[in-house]
Amino acid sequence: MKWVLPIAAVFILGLTIGCWPEDAHSGLPDRVDFNYHIRPILSQNCYACHGPDESTREAGLQLDGWENATAPLEDGGYAIVPGKPHKSLLVDRVNSPDPEHQMPPPDSKKRLTAHQIALLERWIDQGAEWKPHWAFILPEQPKLPRALKQESPTPTTVIDHLLEAEYKRLGLHPSSEARPSSLIRRLSYILTGLPPGPEEVQAFVENYSPESYEQAVEAYLSSPHFGERWARHWMDVIRYAESTGHETDDLIGGAWRYRDYLIRAFNEDLPYDQLVLEHLAGDLMESPRYHPETGLNESILGTAFLCMGEAKNFPVSLKQEETERIHTMIDVTSTAFQALTVGCARCHDHKFDPIPTKDYYAMYGMFEGSRISPWPARIHLDFEEKLDHVEEAKQALFRWIEHQSPSPPSPAVHRVSLELDANDHGPQAADSLYRFLGDFRNGSFGDWFSDGWAFGSEAVYEEAIFNRSSRQFQWVENGYASSRRLVPGLFGALRSPNYVMEYDSLLVRARGHKGTIRLIVENYQISKGNQYGGVQHFVDDREWKEYVFDLSLLKGSKAYLECMPGTYHTQNLDLRAEDYIEIEYVVAFNGIRPELSLAKETSQIRIDHSPIQLDAWIRSYDSLSLSVYDSTHFVGLAKGDPVFSPVAVRGNYNHWSEDRVPHGFLSTIQAGPTEFPQDGSGRLAWAQSVVDPENPLTARIMVNRLWHYLFGKGLVETMDNFGVQGKLPSHPQLLDYLALRFIEEGWSMKRMIRYMVMSDAFRRSTQADSLNLAIDAENVYLHHYSVRRLEAEAIRDGVLAISGRLDSSMYGQPIPVDYMPFLTSFKTHKLPPESGPLDGAGRRSVYQMVRRNYINPLMITFDTPVPFETVGQRTVSYTPAQSLSLLNDPFFHQQAQHWAKTMLREESITIENRIQKLYLHAFARKPSDPEMLEALEYLQMIARTYSLSLAGMEQDSRLWADYCHSLFNLKEFIHLL
Amino acid sequence: MSRRRMLRMAANGFGSLALTGLMHQEIFGKDAPSKLAGNSPLLDQGPHYSPKAKSIIFIFLSGGMSHIDTFDPKPRLIKEHGEDPGKKYKLDPTQFNENGTIMASPWEFRQYGESGIWVSDLFPNIATCVDDIALIRSMYADLPEHANANFIMHTGMSDRGSPSMGAWINYGLGSENQNLPGFVVVHGGSMPLGGIDMLKSGYLPVSYQASLLKAQGEPLANIQPQEEEQLLQLAKLKYLSKADKRLLDHMGPVDELESAIRNYELAFRMQASVPELSDISGETKATKQLYGFDSQDEHTRNYAAQCLLARRLVERGVRFVEITDPFPGNPNPWDQHGNLKKDHERNAHAIDQPIAGLLKDLKARGLLEETLVVFATEFGRTFFAQGTHGRDHNTTAFSIWLAGAGIKAGTIYGSSDEYGYRVLENKTTIPDLHATMLHLLGIDHKRLTYPFKGRDVRLTDVHGELIEGILA
Repeated sequence: MKWVLPIAAVFILGLTIGCWPEDAHSGLPDRVDFNYHIRPILSQNCYACHGPDESTREAGLQLDGWENATAPLEDGGYAIVPGKPHKSLLVDRVNSPDPEHQMPPPDSKKRLTAHQIALLERWIDQGAEWKPHWAFILPEQPKLPRALKQESPTPTTVIDHLLEAEYKRLGLHPSSEARPSSLIRRLSYILTGLPPGPEEVQAFVENYSPESYEQAVEAYLSSPHFGERWARHWMDVIRYAESTGHETDDLIGGAWRYRDYLIRAFNEDLPYDQLVLEHLAGDLMESPRYHPETGLNESILGTAFLCMGEAKNFPVSLKQEETERIHTMIDVTSTAFQALTVGCARCHDHKFDPIPTKDYYAMYGMFEGSRISPWPARIHLDFEEKLDHVEEAKQALFRWIEHQSPSPPSPAVHRVSLELDANDHGPQAADSLYRFLGDFRNGSFGDWFSDGWAFGSEAVYEEAIFNRSSRQFQWVENGYASSRRLVPGLFGALRSPNYVMEYDSLLVRARGHKGTIRLIVENYQISKGNQYGGVQHFVDDREWKEYVFDLSLLKGSKAYLECMPGTYHTQNLDLRAEDYIEIEYVVAFNGIRPELSLAKETSQIRIDHSPIQLDAWIRSYDSLSLSVYDSTHFVGLAKGDPVFSPVAVRGNYNHWSEDRVPHGFLSTIQAGPTEFPQDGSGRLAWAQSVVDPENPLTARIMVNRLWHYLFGKGLVETMDNFGVQGKLPSHPQLLDYLALRFIEEGWSMKRMIRYMVMSDAFRRSTQADSLNLAIDAENVYLHHYSVRRLEAEAIRDGVLAISGRLDSSMYGQPIPVDYMPFLTSFKTHKLPPESGPLDGAGRRSVYQMVRRNYINPLMITFDTPVPFETVGQRTVSYTPAQSLSLLNDPFFHQQAQHWAKTMLREESITIENRIQKLYLHAFARKPSDPEMLEALEYLQMIARTYSLSLAGMEQDSRLWADYCHSLFNLKEFIHLL
Repeated sequence: MSRRRMLRMAANGFGSLALTGLMHQEIFGKDAPSKLAGNSPLLDQGPHYSPKAKSIIFIFLSGGMSHIDTFDPKPRLIKEHGEDPGKKYKLDPTQFNENGTIMASPWEFRQYGESGIWVSDLFPNIATCVDDIALIRSMYADLPEHANANFIMHTGMSDRGSPSMGAWINYGLGSENQNLPGFVVVHGGSMPLGGIDMLKSGYLPVSYQASLLKAQGEPLANIQPQEEEQLLQLAKLKYLSKADKRLLDHMGPVDELESAIRNYELAFRMQASVPELSDISGETKATKQLYGFDSQDEHTRNYAAQCLLARRLVERGVRFVEITDPFPGNPNPWDQHGNLKKDHERNAHAIDQPIAGLLKDLKARGLLEETLVVFATEFGRTFFAQGTHGRDHNTTAFSIWLAGAGIKAGTIYGSSDEYGYRVLENKTTIPDLHATMLHLLGIDHKRLTYPFKGRDVRLTDVHGELIEGILA
């Protein structure tokens, strides 16, 4: 690369591109900045041995902080003496030719350049000023001219002002504005993922003005397709998937409802801080967000993303499996929201960033202490109110019965037996033969958790229960937990605290109609069959029975028990209106089942007369009951025991430290609650720390993501790593300005996107000036708008839109992928799953199924990421498989035929006009004269092959399908120009 | 994305032809391989040392072939057949915890060749090639779950997301053939558990991922033109070529557009070269017989076609060829938790003759000198029964073998204990195997790195020692 860029400018901006000039001292910055000049040198060359990680530290020297770096060394002297480079051993060592003495040591194969050494020297000479890593300093408002400070709606944005400063400094002359036809296509694809319609294009191009541009922006921002496009971006960030991968690739119940949640959230411009809170703690919010139109609880859907990791079918060590699963939760959470690789602190303190292992295990405890649970997906605002109505109706019914029936049987006798039992579940010696883990006969849940609504806050006790099928009432004296306390079919889960399994067996006395009892070992969710000695029972007997679990293989493991109405298996819940489960007690024991004095049977209350009035009551009670029934579900998080995790020593899941890590946020960031609550999981407080305006990362990261999606490259190029190893911002002031503005405007993503696309920078032509390229080949300074290849989804959706096949309906069950004959042979156990239609039912790509083991090959070919980790920036590749796909994949041929047919419906139109229309549709522009000639020439050639006359050409669908197909294959089609 | 990165992704070992060359006759002929500047990290500097192998054929037996029934005889099991294994060892947890008694191998072992290596009656044909192989009896895998173990075997890491070894090799060396992808999986209709991601390029550019080729039927996805006549596709390509060139003239040099255009040229050439590759009508009857094309067993015939295709691929300079099992729809045919005798026999019968045929054919053509053949499975099986007639997974000792370029032929390396339960000497890990494979290609596994998540990562992560004992 020729070095034409004025050196000083580069230094000020701190870019590390290209190589340094020969003369080390020429072009040194007047003021050396630690973050932009020094830290990259230290981080790249020194931190592996002299960084934050204690375990690999050499010679006791730590160069990641001023105090340590200037402290006396073990062998005497000082690495850095501020103001005195010649007394600083660091300078001495990096200059040394002696292999024994030289730093970095020769076997590291690293060597500082003369320029880097000169920078170090000058920096020390200037006092060796240390600064925290740029991303950990709060954003600062840049100094702006007065005119810009006033909030004016003019399109001259601060963005352009700040970019302009760089143009001037570098001698760049930015490209002019793109043609209106390019602009409309760019806007449409980038904001909605779809091409503009031909009429839209014509109207826009013919009446182009700044106002019409703004109107177009508004129209696209308020299009429902906006949410579909931007939800998909976010799905990359949280590694969205609908199945668990590995051997059996089980579907994750209701995962797609989270996708719909995202689409609604983006369309409604849900503030980003709210989105974050819901993602991490949507189940814990004091006042959840109800959708204004549907009235449904939206917040609760947010945590589903944490349950979209992979899961193994037959892990031998469930503990190891748990550490892997939680690791991916930590990884995706920290990279998505904080752009920090906290995952690296699993085995040792982070080598480069100030992230100690304790930060990792604070997060670990947060996730270990959260439980994965199905939730009803349609919780209505007035749901609780309806439940109250049911309760009232029930009470009224009972009052009426009391009035009608003879006095209820005296409970006295039964009380006695319960009191006798009371001794059974006090604190017991470890060698005791049995131990009550839960006993609900006295009406209390004890330390168990009741989630959802079915079980209420306490067990039934001394009250009547109505049996719908027998139309009988039962009077309950001895208590038990019942999921039909109000009505059957209501969602709820009763869960025990965590136990360490010490006994051989576990006994649950239960009854019900389609209920599930599961033992969740090390939070492992997808146990099947008799795995691990059998960890689940399905209860389908209305009589009390004892359900026994064999724990012999699970001794020493952590587990909790989960009871739920409905059939819950591999994270899929089937809950019918008549389902319920009731549990009396849970006992762990060794050897033979203990003889327990059993609870008394309930007594029936007979209604002997006046059934008509009763019928009316029952009908109204029934209809109220149905009004609270919800068959839908998704898998998200629920509360659990607080867990304070020990540290896995060197990341080894078999070796844990004695000390436990309290809940807390990343220790290097001072944001969020000063006192972290130590009850619960700490998820809500963690989320609050992310969205606290005092958090220097959150807003910067998100505006950078938005910028990236609009411009193709972030202001910080490493979208998902704002740590020391990430890239420095190309425009630090602009990044800070946008971050502050984002917070000020209530974290509104749409407002920020609008602001960015209104800039001149977004509207520039893709025509790059060669002089500009000589100065800035990578277009870091945005002197033109970079050519972008469309994403897989935009290519496929664009084809559907143009062919007329697009079905714009939104939301719902995913469409199975077409596995094309070539791939159907790749099946595993119960697969291949159902193969879907070739055209994906005409639905947008965001609605196509994301089954980990069977991802749509077309998507993968065009770089849709495989869902395993946060991907802020997709790879953009160019492969022959892409060309083969566009050329020969039956999907493109099918859509070309569809397009041709749609178009031929319009009769009596000349061939030239037809070509014009197709061009307008595919490229948002009309063909030039030479293009028209070439097209005609090509059409004539096809016509000859098909032996068509001129008249025949006009209406021949084969010929036009061929032509349409070739338009999909023109490079302009898959690029934004 | 940097301009250099972009070019690297675009190139992927395929030279660039002048746009105008597209429609000329020469594209049907053989172009001399051009220098592939900027293609891969090693091309600029040359290989780390002089390579022994040009290509690798990786034969993967999915599900866990039993080492103690094939290449690692354990006479003691015959004596102790039916005894309680728990009395010999504190057993590791197994997947199904359905541990039965000690089970002797249902097959007899015999010694073969000058090396006198023991092979069971499951592989009578491979047995005749023992003097060409180096057998490792001390393999050690970390995890007993198939998907994990398959990911480790292919990518060095236990979960999806990391590049497959074939992708690493192409990233490192580029392809020698401009018309074919450098990493090909000749698949027999099934994908090892864990799925296709273990053959992908992970965080490396997608252009390094495996292309899946079938030995029969349509060999490659989307390779078949859909136009009624070839003339129509030619006309289309000509039109595209002109129109794209016009765009390029208008835009000036744009990497993205140039790359996309170049890929059409390659795709077009592949449309010719891939069917030519699959067309085995020129192979002699004797060759076909050698591989087992005339076998009564349909699985043998299928696998014979896969093995022959593998030879044709390495002949054409493809760097890395993986052959998967020939049982359509069965992702782990070697996973005999039950029915060991019947199913291992079915499996071995399918692959024995074709693999022996491949080794002999490669040797006869002088290709074995420049081709490394690796015969591997993700783990072995237990010396005690699962239930009564199966075996569970055994990760702490199993066997694989290598043959060909740079390999000390007729060697046994390492050993397992008398039960085949634990490695006794020369414990060898998957990263060791990877390091050795790279070494034979002239690559230092510690120096083939890619920047990802702020680190320079590599196939062997922080592990991997050369298996010196099997190197010639």
